Amino acid sequence: MMTTPGGSGRFKPLPTAMYAGYSGTASSWVAKTSVSASGKRIQREMAELNVDPPPECSAGPKGDNLYHWIATIIGPSGTPYEGGIFFLDMIFPSDYPFKPPKVVFKTRIYHCNVDTAGNLSVEILRDSWSPALTITKVLQAIRTIFLKPEPFNPALPVIARLYLSDREKHEEVAKEWTLRFAK
Amino acid sequence: MISDSITNASASAAPSARDMGKKKRTNRAAKLKQSKLGLRREQWLSQVAMINKGDKEETGPNRKTGIEKVVHRDLPVEKLDGQPGEEEAHHHESFIESLSNSPNSILTGINSIPNFCSGSSSGSGGSCSGNITEDEDAADDGCLDDWEAFADALAADEQKKHDKENPPEEQSASLRDSVSGSNVAVRDVKPMSRKQKSNQAWRADDKLRPQGLPNLGKQRSFPVMNLHFSSVAVPSSCPICYEDLDLTDSNFLPCPCGFRLCLFCHKTICDGDGRCPGCRKPYEKNTVKVETSVQNGGLTIRLARSSSMFCRS
Repeated sequence: MMTTPGGSGRFKPLPTAMYAGYSGTASSWVAKTSVSASGKRIQREMAELNVDPPPECSAGPKGDNLYHWIATIIGPSGTPYEGGIFFLDMIFPSDYPFKPPKVVFKTRIYHCNVDTAGNLSVEILRDSWSPALTITKVLQAIRTIFLKPEPFNPALPVIARLYLSDREKHEEVAKEWTLRFAK
Repeated sequence: MISDSITNASASAAPSARDMGKKKRTNRAAKLKQSKLGLRREQWLSQVAMINKGDKEETGPNRKTGIEKVVHRDLPVEKLDGQPGEEEAHHHESFIESLSNSPNSILTGINSIPNFCSGSSSGSGGSCSGNITEDEDAADDGCLDDWEAFADALAADEQKKHDKENPPEEQSASLRDSVSGSNVAVRDVKPMSRKQKSNQAWRADDKLRPQGLPNLGKQRSFPVMNLHFSSVAVPSSCPICYEDLDLTDSNFLPCPCGFRLCLFCHKTICDGDGRCPGCRKPYEKNTVKVETSVQNGGLTIRLARSSSMFCRS
């Protein structure tokens, strides 16, 4: 599926383009899991997000499916991602929060922790996931890697190498990608 | 009888206080110790003044109550030990000594003479509970050498027992200091003065009651459990599934990091990777064991509590 690492061919640069193809998979989720503990938890998280959203972030269900969210993060100022609007897909497993949500960048981004399919190499979305974490914290963590990439835990080692060896060049490319894909 | 009521009160107070957790008591007791010591000196001074004034008038009624008391005191000893002679001999001994030592303890000595007679002759009405408290008291009395030891013994004691038992012991202490110089005499005086206390103990509305004396009702509504909870803020709902925590859940502390969750979520996590959501460390196996026994057995709350005790230590 879209969320598995390595599916580079399916990565689509324009957010609006991929939503249509995605809705089919999403509807199959609902039938299985709509009546469960995870539903209550997700609803509560949604309510909390509406009341107190993290800075420059937003998230919510894509349609009437509670388990499929769209999130946006605005590139923080002072970074090459400044001013860009980055869309993310969030898919909650039926045993959420005991398993992490699957978060995928839908907007192309030049970042060493995001591979070409939009998958993130963020530890809290993998082994370091904790049921105590919420979508708010996930969004904050993603915003943190905008500000401070983690080149020693890269999704794309090529970008990480450039980031470490030639920071200026890295910033230049990242800025160009932001201008091209995220605005 | 008065002694019976005292026994019942302290007996019922004991288990609940024990439940509250022995460890928390030490903290709280340390604070209480300071304030209570001050209070006690105050009370003590006023008591000395009162006793010096009212000693003679009180001997009349005291004699009666004293008899009742000692009847209770001696009967169980005879029944259980089967060797009343030892105890009696001790009393007589100390009685004689106190006679020779202090003029005032003669009063109590005289009181105790009819007590022994009636105690040994009448064989009915001895209660087990009465015996237990008396034994405790005797044990307490033995180690009260000075104010520091006194306070330490109090700290180790239950809260409510404090309020019941302290005033008389102060009295006896005051008697000791004001009346006699010898410890042996104090032993004889004590049962006597405890009886006096039952006449004199402050009621909540008593005018003689010192202002600063802690209110028993207040303490009951302020159990130690609440203190602990306020410091570690128990969430009202499970942070994982957002279901409300019931009594069992809120007493369930599966990880030393203090992260609380409901038993259902804990079970789900243990079926998976078994790491605490709060600190991501694996749950300790002992804790898991406790948890399963909680689910199988009927002693849910107690086990949960003991697990929380375990985690804190």
